[in-house]
Amino acid sequence: MAAESPTSDRKVVVHLRATGDAPILKQAKFKISGNDKFSKVIEFLRRQLHRDTLFVYVNSAFSPNPDELVIDLYNNFGFDGKLVVNYASSMAWG
Amino acid sequence: MGGHCLWDGTLSPNDFIASADDLTKKWMAINPNLPQWTWIPCQRMDVSCNTQAEGYLALENMYQLSASEVNAPTDDENYSAEEAPFDNATLIQSYNDDMHIYDFHIVYSFSYQVPVLYFRGYRCDGHPLHLCDIEKDLPPYSSKIRNESKWTFMTQEEHPYLCCPWYTLHPCGTSDWMKLLLGGDLPSKNPDMLHYLSAWLSVVGQTVGLRIPLELHDKSI
Repeated sequence: MAAESPTSDRKVVVHLRATGDAPILKQAKFKISGNDKFSKVIEFLRRQLHRDTLFVYVNSAFSPNPDELVIDLYNNFGFDGKLVVNYASSMAWG
Repeated sequence: MGGHCLWDGTLSPNDFIASADDLTKKWMAINPNLPQWTWIPCQRMDVSCNTQAEGYLALENMYQLSASEVNAPTDDENYSAEEAPFDNATLIQSYNDDMHIYDFHIVYSFSYQVPVLYFRGYRCDGHPLHLCDIEKDLPPYSSKIRNESKWTFMTQEEHPYLCCPWYTLHPCGTSDWMKLLLGGDLPSKNPDMLHYLSAWLSVVGQTVGLRIPLELHDKSI
């Protein structure tokens, strides 16, 4: 761990924003390690909302792959010092 | 068709063509070494026997190691299936049964007015993959949805232009989640239709294990 550069363990502020009919969380902002995968954000939302299927997306532009690193998302799509993540409570395929 | 109408998440045939062009150019700029999206023009007779210029997007010869292979320990610890260069000469030498090749087509659905993904997989020897083989290549998340909604998610249907069976993702929920994805909090605003296909692909790619680079969503490119 000591070999890691200071930027690699940077914390990222994630702001969770409800869309559609999704319930609003009490704690909508939290800090997460930039080294964590986006799947950690999805898991957090699933636990909080008690739902298996969620639709999670960023910047009204795309839905990140769960394997993306939070720091990469922040560097590309973060602004005002935070990464805004939108979520809707359901996603129907058919 | 007033400007105040709420956008319903659908795409017009002309917007499909424009967005397909945008996706093709961006993909080439970002992934010059990967197989490229190609526009395949087609002509189809409409009801009054006029020929309509149509087409679809194709991304063919995407190599994918089966999930069992990816999870197996390899000699080279740095090896990553997703980042491996697509060197055909090397692939022939390291031929094995676990190498799967996928073709992806994006076809416009005139009934749902959304893009629809058609895909097929085969082995190096050309042997087609059955759904049970393909399932092993899918991300765990996708397999879960498939089990929950078996007949409405991923099915085998006739390819609209090639007229042979391909696997497809059912489109009837697409406009609903695209409305959320591009419309966001302000469903009445005019969404950026040029980015429709890259946004759509970020969701659809995840279900079939097609990795979409983040740069594709960078609007400055």
